[in-house]
Amino acid sequence: MPTKSAHKKIGNLKRYNYTWCYIFLLPTIIIFCMFYLIPILQVFITSFTKWDGFNSPKFSGFENYINLFKSSGFIVALKNLLLWCIVALFLHVGFGTLVAFVLYQKKPGWKITRAVFMIPNVISAAAWAMIYRFFFNNDFGILNNIIRIFNPNFNVQWFYKSPWAFWAVTFTWLFYAVIVTLLVLGDLQNISPEINEAAIIDGATGWQLIRYIQLPLCRGAIGTSVIASLTSRVSMYEQIALTTAGGPGYDTMSLPILLVNAVTDYRYGYANAIGVVMFILGLIILAVVSKMFRMNDSDY
Amino acid sequence: MKINKLLALVICGAMMLSSVGCGKTNVKNKDGNNSQNGVVELKIPSYKTGENVGAVFFEPQVKRFNEKYTGKYKITLETVPQDNFSDRLKQLAQQKALPVLVQGGDPDWIKNVVIPNGLAYDLGPWINETPAIKDVLIEDSLKYCTVGGKVYVMPMATVRSIGMFYNSSMWKSEKDINTLTVDEFMTELGDQKIAFSTAENGWVAGLMYTALIANQDGGKELLASGAQNKIVDLNKPAFVNAAAQLQKMLQKNAASNSIGATYPDAANAFMSKQASIIANGPWMAAEFEEKNSANWSNGFNGADIRASFYPGGIGIANTSTYGEWWVSASASEKELECAKAFLEFIYSPNELEAFMLAEGGEAPNLKYSDSFKEKQSKSQILFDLAEDATSNATFVPCFLDIVPNSVANSDFGRLLPSLADGTYTPEKFCEMLSKAAAEATA
Repeated sequence: MPTKSAHKKIGNLKRYNYTWCYIFLLPTIIIFCMFYLIPILQVFITSFTKWDGFNSPKFSGFENYINLFKSSGFIVALKNLLLWCIVALFLHVGFGTLVAFVLYQKKPGWKITRAVFMIPNVISAAAWAMIYRFFFNNDFGILNNIIRIFNPNFNVQWFYKSPWAFWAVTFTWLFYAVIVTLLVLGDLQNISPEINEAAIIDGATGWQLIRYIQLPLCRGAIGTSVIASLTSRVSMYEQIALTTAGGPGYDTMSLPILLVNAVTDYRYGYANAIGVVMFILGLIILAVVSKMFRMNDSDY
Repeated sequence: MKINKLLALVICGAMMLSSVGCGKTNVKNKDGNNSQNGVVELKIPSYKTGENVGAVFFEPQVKRFNEKYTGKYKITLETVPQDNFSDRLKQLAQQKALPVLVQGGDPDWIKNVVIPNGLAYDLGPWINETPAIKDVLIEDSLKYCTVGGKVYVMPMATVRSIGMFYNSSMWKSEKDINTLTVDEFMTELGDQKIAFSTAENGWVAGLMYTALIANQDGGKELLASGAQNKIVDLNKPAFVNAAAQLQKMLQKNAASNSIGATYPDAANAFMSKQASIIANGPWMAAEFEEKNSANWSNGFNGADIRASFYPGGIGIANTSTYGEWWVSASASEKELECAKAFLEFIYSPNELEAFMLAEGGEAPNLKYSDSFKEKQSKSQILFDLAEDATSNATFVPCFLDIVPNSVANSDFGRLLPSLADGTYTPEKFCEMLSKAAAEATA
């Protein structure tokens, strides 16, 4: 049994270590406060004001939020977001997971395939948007030229014609799911071989192995991917701004486009109200997905 | 143990410093100006550098100033991309780090932020003391720049009227275009193609729309009123009727790449003979010079290009607006001297004439030199525009300048494809624009 002086020594050591912990944490805390906490608080506070970004904000209660909920673009932007989230959840994450499972089989060439699959990720979203503008161009775009081989009179302005514009924008990110693939592949590779072997000895078929062993063990990675994918949809800007700018009409309108438009008009209070809505949507996604995928529960 | 402690402190200190050490202080000498060896040096953020079309004239102009004032003043240019230029200025203003000489900026920002917050220096007394400058300023611009008896922004001395260019090897009107009505113009056009840009802010389509509005009853007055106060109600007949004409043009006469075209796409359509007409300002004339023939294709020849005002004698130019330059109120005496010397230099007759020869335009209050007149007459395009800028011409501000920023920068271009493909009627198009304008000013 430790003596009283030993207790005191451990206590001193703990205090000593804590002091150093706090000293080392200090820069991070300062940076967090400077670049995250204070701006987020500022966004919240100024969302209740009329503010041109330069003169002092004037308190206006819920006026910005009322105007936002009444605006023509907002409801459409929310509807679009919901649809994009559904597509992201099932197709984007689904595709990334599928690729991860294919790569996990370690068939010949899997490493090259993984590297090639990575390439789009090093190209910026803005550059992809430009590439897709050419891809979908009616005059010289690859897509329409291929279609014209079969139907010479085919003419569709994919980014500028309803309802195609929505799907053309969706196409600019849909299949770039390398983050999902890497996260899921990482979890798959962490599965102990004994677990797979035990399942096979018990008579599990390939599909049963995936369905009942591997997929549940990747739950955390898939949940993280869903959060990353859905929150990216909330903040998706370049792909829309550089292709359709939210049009035609309001077909591809999004919250970030509305936010930037508000900033252009010096309506910083209103823009921050949109920012708050985006922030809350992000938190809701985080909470719901964490719950759905039981992300705080241990797998083993 | 001591070494560990010391090491930990050093690492910790370095981390702290790195988080706060990113800022840079603008070092000024004891007189409060940026000077070395007695040379007052001003750094100007500018987009008219490098590959920007405005750099062709502006960079040599700055060089000429530096040569004239060698050993006394020096201007250096800091490149800022044109797309981010207004934002960069706002950022500098918020950081209280505005340059001494400020080139432009969003007019709304100048009106609502710069002037009320005393960020700009009052140039009024200096202008009044310098008749050589005062005499060449355009009265409307001077009036617009004067707030409470103070002149916060340098008024304009030249105005560049925006008209349109046509390829005379592809199309030529029987009568002068500026004497035609819109209906006559459309009949004359037949199946000829017009290069439009409808993406981004729909610049080229916006110019044509302006000309069509100005040709409606009360259109000129509407546009002129928008130069003072932004227009929110776009359901008025002048806007709707012009939208109907624009729709017809987009459906019948637009070059094949017009929908979704950015300005370079529209220029490309014109310079590859896919379109015989493009609306744009006189600065585009440089594109038709032989030295830029690398951008031509399909047998295009810059020498075939002629310029004209729009039907109805409409030229797009706004004189009731700010000039290009203003001076920061925080400038020191020496910096002010340098800034004033630069302004005096660029407003000198020689420089104004050089500018007009390079980028077009007119200086209504400047007595042109003979050599200028001679040189201007040699440039067919500048000559065409100068000929149309007679007393019969009417100048109107551009539609994109009379609506709220977000409508001009985003909504107009976003709604155009739906007008072009008939999804929106002209009424619906104007209703959508009005709604967007009302929301932008709510």
